[in-house]
Amino acid sequence: MSASSLPLGILRYAALSLVAAILLLPIYWLVMSSFRPADEIFRFAGAFSLETLVPRTLTLENYQQIFAGTFTRALFNSIFVSFATVFLGVFVNSMAGFAFAVFDFPFKKPLFVIVLLSFMMPFESIVIPLYTLMRTFSLTDTYAALILPEVAGGLIIFLFRQFFAGIPKEIYEAARVDGASWWQIYLRMTMPLSGPTIATASLMMFIHQWDAFFWPLVATSSADLAVVQVAIARNMTLEQANWGALFASASTAVLVAAIPFTILQRYYVRVVVTHADK
Amino acid sequence: MKASRRTFLKAGLGAGALIAAPHVARAQQTTLKVVWVGWPENQVTPLFAEFEKRNPTIKTAVERLPFSQVFQALEIRLNARTGDPDIFIVDSPLTASYAARGHLMPLDALVDKSRFAPSAITAASYDGKMYSAPFGTSMQVLYYNRTLFKDAGIEPPTADMGKRWTWEQVLEAGKKIAKPADNVWGFTFEQQERPYQLLPLGQSLGGTALSPDGFKATGFIDGPAFVEGFTFMQKLYTEAKISPPGQFDTALTPELFGAGKCGMLLGGTFIYDTLKSKFPNLDFGVAPHPYFAKGKPVTPTGAWNFGINARSTQKEAVAQFAKDMLSDDMNTLWFKLRPYVPTLNAVWQRDAASFSSDLWKIVKSELETTAVPRPATPGWREYEDILRVALRDMQAGGNPAEMLKAAAQRIDREIAKYKG
Amino acid sequence: MMRVKPWLPFAFLAPALLGLFVFRFVPIGISLVGSFFGQSIRGDTLFVGLKNYLDLFGDPTFWGSVWTTLLFNVIINPLQVVLALGLAMLARRPTKFVDIFRASFLLPMTVSIALTSIIWSIMLDPTLGPVNGFLRWLGLPAQSFFRSPDQALPTLILVATWKGVGYWMVFLLAGLLAIPESLNEAAAIDGASPWRRFWHVTLPLMKRPLAFVMVADTAANFLLFAPVYIVTNGGPNGATHLLMFEAYQSAFAFLNHGRSLAISTIILLIVIAIALMELRLFRPEEEADTP
Repeated sequence: MSASSLPLGILRYAALSLVAAILLLPIYWLVMSSFRPADEIFRFAGAFSLETLVPRTLTLENYQQIFAGTFTRALFNSIFVSFATVFLGVFVNSMAGFAFAVFDFPFKKPLFVIVLLSFMMPFESIVIPLYTLMRTFSLTDTYAALILPEVAGGLIIFLFRQFFAGIPKEIYEAARVDGASWWQIYLRMTMPLSGPTIATASLMMFIHQWDAFFWPLVATSSADLAVVQVAIARNMTLEQANWGALFASASTAVLVAAIPFTILQRYYVRVVVTHADK
Repeated sequence: MKASRRTFLKAGLGAGALIAAPHVARAQQTTLKVVWVGWPENQVTPLFAEFEKRNPTIKTAVERLPFSQVFQALEIRLNARTGDPDIFIVDSPLTASYAARGHLMPLDALVDKSRFAPSAITAASYDGKMYSAPFGTSMQVLYYNRTLFKDAGIEPPTADMGKRWTWEQVLEAGKKIAKPADNVWGFTFEQQERPYQLLPLGQSLGGTALSPDGFKATGFIDGPAFVEGFTFMQKLYTEAKISPPGQFDTALTPELFGAGKCGMLLGGTFIYDTLKSKFPNLDFGVAPHPYFAKGKPVTPTGAWNFGINARSTQKEAVAQFAKDMLSDDMNTLWFKLRPYVPTLNAVWQRDAASFSSDLWKIVKSELETTAVPRPATPGWREYEDILRVALRDMQAGGNPAEMLKAAAQRIDREIAKYKG
Repeated sequence: MMRVKPWLPFAFLAPALLGLFVFRFVPIGISLVGSFFGQSIRGDTLFVGLKNYLDLFGDPTFWGSVWTTLLFNVIINPLQVVLALGLAMLARRPTKFVDIFRASFLLPMTVSIALTSIIWSIMLDPTLGPVNGFLRWLGLPAQSFFRSPDQALPTLILVATWKGVGYWMVFLLAGLLAIPESLNEAAAIDGASPWRRFWHVTLPLMKRPLAFVMVADTAANFLLFAPVYIVTNGGPNGATHLLMFEAYQSAFAFLNHGRSLAISTIILLIVIAIALMELRLFRPEEEADTP
C-alpha cells in the first residue's frame, strides 16, 4: 500500500470495524446470554453496566439441557436436508440458468417471466395446495417432502442466468469449433469458470433450508424429522419461555451455519489471489 | 356455479389420491396420530407412554408443534379434510371455531360431564354440545414483590379471599412503587395485550364481551363497561405510568417481575413455579385477582383442551383415547407432568396436599365463584386478533371509545361469515 | 445468442422446470384460481368472480396496507442495495483481516428471520432491552422503537436491513470480484479519479449482479412479514401493517382464504411489474433478450 493512501486505508478499516460491530452486537448478546444462568439473562439488560456485556456467572447448563434432548437429531436433519438441497439444486438450477443465458429458443421470454413469478408468490399462499399435493403423492412426513420442493428455485435459476450471461460467448464458439458438445461446455467450461457464483447459489439454498420453519412444520409430523428451527421454536410457549435453552439452541444453529460461510470466505479470497497473479 | 377446490385437485391428479388414503386399521393394533403443543419432551412423552401401557392395542404418534405456529399448521392439516390427525390440541376458546367448521366430533356420549368444573364444560361446548375435552384450565392471581412493598412503606395484599384488593388499591400502591425513570414499575399484566387477560376489566363492571349468540360485538365490547374498564387500563400506562408500556411478550413480563423491577404482576399459575425455580432470592406472595370497587370480581379461565377429528377413521380407538385420557388417573398424571389448573373434580380431591398452598386455595375458590370463560363464538380468532391490536393502541394513548367501536364493527364484519 | 437444435435448451431446462411445475406452478395456479372463490364455513368453495378483489378495493384497511407496503419498499430496497454495494466495495480488496470482516457481515444472515425478530424485539424492548439500558446509562430518554407509531416502520426497516445487507453484499461481491483488476488499473493509469472509475468502469460491469440483487431484494421485502407477525402485529396504529401481513392474517386468523389469495395475487402483480422495470433499467446494452 502506498504512503498516500494510508489515511484512506485507516478510514476503510474504521468503517469496516464500525459496520462489523453493529452487525455482530446482537449475535454477541445472544451467544453470551446462552451462557448465563436463568436468573441473570435479563437481570443486567435494562440497566447498562459491564455485566450487560460480560456475564457475571458462566454456565453450560443451557447447553447440557438442549443436548440431552432431541436437539442433536434436529441439527442433523437440517444439515442433511440443507446439503441434499444444495447438491441437487446446484445442478438442476445451473443447467436451467445456462439454457436461459446461452441459448435462443421459442417462448424464452415468457418462460423466463414465469420462472421469476415462481419466487414472487408468497409461500404462505401456496402452502395449502402444496400440502394437499404432497399428501396425494404420499410424500408427507418424509425427507423428500423437505428437500424436493426446494430443489428447483426460480431465484437460483435467475442468479445463474445473470452470472452466466456475463461469460463471453466467443469462448463457447471456439469450443464448438473444437467439437465439444454443449453438455461438455456446460460441465467443463461454464461451471469451472463460475466458482463464486456456485458458492453464492449454494449459500442461498443452504440458508433457505437452514431457516426453513413453516413448511417443515406442516409437511412432517414425526419427531425424527423435526428440523432445527422447529426445535428452537419449541422453547417458547404461551405460559413460559425457556430463554436459556432458546438462546443456546439458537446460538448453536447460528454457529453451525457459519461453518459453510467460513469455507466460502476462503474461496473468495483464493479467487482474488488468482486474479492478482495474472 | 359451485365447485370444490379439492375436487379440482383430485381431477387434476387422478388416481394418486388413492395411494394417500389412510391405511385400513388392522384388527390388533392401531396408531393414532396426535398433534400436541411443543411442551418439553419430558412433560409430554410420559403421558403417552402411560396411555400406551394402559391401552396395549393403541399406539400413539405424537407431534409436538411449536406454540407460535400451532394454529396455522393445524389449519393447513385440517383444511385438507382427512382423518389426519386423529386427535389434536384445542385452545378452549377455539372449540366453537373448529366445531362450526366440522373439524370436531361431539363427545357428549363419551364423557360424564358432572365430573368436571362447570366453567370447564362451558368452555368446551358449542351449540349445546361438548366438542372438546377439558384437559386443564387456567386462572390468574396477583403476584406481589414483598421487598418492593416494604421499601415503599406500604402493606401488600393478602391471600385472604375476603380482603381482595380493588383496582383502585392496585393503582395507589403502584404509584408508590413505580419509578419509571429507573425502570421500576408498579404493576403489570402478564399478557398485556390479550383479551383473555383484559376482558375481566370490563366484565367486572358488568359488561358482556359478545352477544349471547356469539355473532355480535357492537353494543357489547364497545359498551360503557368496557370503555370504562379499558380507560382505566390506559391510565396505568399513560397518566399514572405504573405499567411498562409496549411490553407485549408474555415471556418477558415474568422476567421483569423476577428481576425485582415490578411491584405486582397479574399472571397465570405457571409463573409461580417458574419464579420459584428461576429466582431463588425473590421474595414474593400471591393474592386474589383485583376487581373494581363498584363492580364484582371476575377472573379469566380456559386453556388447552383436546379434540377428536370428526373425520378420523379409527372410531373405536379415538373413543378409547378420549375416555382414558379423561380418567382420574391420567388427569392426575398430566397435572404432575404439567400443572395446569385441574378441571376434573377428582384431581383436586385425590391429592389434597398439593393444593394446600395459598396459590391453589385462591385458584380453587376463584374457579368456583368468579371464573368466566371467553365468549363462545366460531369467530374467536378474529375477535381476539382485532381486539388485541386495539388494546395495544389504547395503551399507547388511542381513544378507547373510538377504538372499541371500530374494533367491534370490524369483528362483526369478520364474524358474519359464520352465520348460517 | 446461440441457435441450436430446438430440443437442446429444453433438455437443460427439463429438471428445473419439472420441479418448478409440480411444486410451484401447480400450487400457484390453484391459488390464483382460488382468489376467485369463497369458502363456506364447512369448507365448500363457491365461485364468487371478482368479489374478493372488489371487496378489497372498497376496504380502507387494504389501501392503508398498500400505502404502508409501498412506503416500506421505496425506502428499504434502495437502502439495502446501496449499503450492500458500499460494503462490497469496502470488503473488495484482499487486505489484511478482510476475511474476518466479510465473515462478520455474513453472520446475521445465518440467524433465521423469526429469531431475528425475537432477538431485536428483546434488544429494543422498552423496559428490559439492552439498547434502552444503554440509552438510560447515557442519560438519554428510553425509546419505544417498535412500540411507537413514528418509530415502528423505521425500526422494521433497520432490523430487516441488519439481516439483509450482508446477504445482498455476497452477490455484489461476487460480481465485483469477477471484474478483472487490469481494467481498473488501466483507468487509474489514465488518471481517472476513484469516483470516475467507480461510475464508468465498475458500475457498467455490475449491471447484471445489480439487476439480480434489485429484483431479488424487491421480492424478498414485499414478501417479508415475520417481524410484523412476531413483534408488532401490524401496529401501532397500523404503522407496520404490510400487505403480506394482511394476506397472512386473512388466511390464518380470519380464515378468509379468498381474500388472502386475492391480496397475494396483487402482491405478485406489483412485484413482477417492478422486477421487469428493474431488469429493463439494468439491461446491459448487448443484451436484447432480457424481458
